[in-house]
Amino acid sequence: MAVSLHADVYIPGQSAIHRWAARPKLLSLLGLMFAIAMVRHLVLLPWVFGVVISLYLWSQLPFTYLCRRLPYPGLFIVAMVGLLPWISGETVLWQGWIFSLRLEGIQMAALIAGRFLAILTTGFVLLGTTPFLTLLEAMRSLGIPTLLTDMTLLTYRYLFDVANQLATMRQAMELRGYGHSRQTLRRHWNWLAALFGSLLLRSYEQSQRVYSAMRLRGYGQQPPRALQRTAGAALTLPTILTLTAAVSVVICELSLASL
Amino acid sequence: MHIPDGILPAPVCVAGYAIAGGMTWVALKQIKKTSDSQVEVPKAALMAAAFFVGSSLSLPVPPVSVHLVLNGLLGIVLGWYAWPAILIGLLLQAILLGHGGVTTLGVDAVMMGIPALLAGQLFQLRHYLGKSLPPKVSLGLFSFVAGAFGVGLSALVFFALVIFAIPSTLEQSTEKSFLTALMLGHIPLIFLEGVFAVLLCFFLLRVKPELLER
Repeated sequence: MAVSLHADVYIPGQSAIHRWAARPKLLSLLGLMFAIAMVRHLVLLPWVFGVVISLYLWSQLPFTYLCRRLPYPGLFIVAMVGLLPWISGETVLWQGWIFSLRLEGIQMAALIAGRFLAILTTGFVLLGTTPFLTLLEAMRSLGIPTLLTDMTLLTYRYLFDVANQLATMRQAMELRGYGHSRQTLRRHWNWLAALFGSLLLRSYEQSQRVYSAMRLRGYGQQPPRALQRTAGAALTLPTILTLTAAVSVVICELSLASL
Repeated sequence: MHIPDGILPAPVCVAGYAIAGGMTWVALKQIKKTSDSQVEVPKAALMAAAFFVGSSLSLPVPPVSVHLVLNGLLGIVLGWYAWPAILIGLLLQAILLGHGGVTTLGVDAVMMGIPALLAGQLFQLRHYLGKSLPPKVSLGLFSFVAGAFGVGLSALVFFALVIFAIPSTLEQSTEKSFLTALMLGHIPLIFLEGVFAVLLCFFLLRVKPELLER
């Protein structure tokens, strides 16, 4: 199951980015991601990559972390922008049979792929240096409703349990003959619907036990406790540098657009 | 059917977040009005986890197999909770799998969540429009329509966004033909989602009918 492949999203460490308080880190890096999404001129990409690579190096995350997590989303972007050089644009660079490679299409594909890589790497810096629960607490302190954070926490907590249950049920189904003999398509689909339905039922029944346990531990009996300050020193240097970089990208983009 | 980071221009991403914020406000208001959220939160969270995991199931359609989106089914089973469930599912997919994106989370949530809510409402229409039909026929018909509608509308929004929001130099007529071709190519998937919704609703009717009643 793909879910279990990337369970180790957070990589513990002692870098300044690791020690950066979660709330300013979340806001600064989100600001940088949106600034990168604004880029429409290829000429800005080297500056953007300079900023993102510096952040990644500063976070001391291993290069293998990037390599391990990049291929899966990378495939999507290749599939999505792979067509652009062949269908978009007017300046033909090369022509063969019915295919023509166009300059504007290549530029657009490079821009999209560049933005994608830069935003994704910034996201990895955020997720790789902040435990998920700390991130959730930072979101709550920013005003995200309690219902959403409670649901996120519970979904995340039970996601791997549910994935394991599905794996066990599939194994049981295969031991009973699913996929080993020739069966009609209708039968296949009925089995899969029953498998998914059983998974929903088990989750529903488990949710009732979880709710009882939560009530016994006082869930809903008292107002939510005041949030503690999020872990990590409120380092101002990474905040200032990241926000300056984000603002510089936006200013450069707006200046280029007005030329 | 997720839009990754970097594809859409920033104003579209910001607009996506704004609409998603508004929809979250509406959904939470409806949830507080219609149910005891303390009881329902664990149920919705675990069902959301089950849908997240269940979307990894592939349905054999010789010579290939397809992954289902299941947003219509989420609307059928969870009602207004489908919105937070989708929002959370998309956030976790972006974090754990790198599927989708952080800047496009709002757009993706709108694209998947609004059709899910509409599918849920469509399914509820069986209590009014399906009264004259035998109960099983009514359930089958409305679950098919809701399941197919959920993914159909999401596919339409997805392709429209990808084609019209990427500033390419394609002619408008070419863009329209692309959109039509892509939608036609997805009709089998839309049909499959509808059929799977029917099979699942019949299964739930047999073993736990209260899951279909809200």
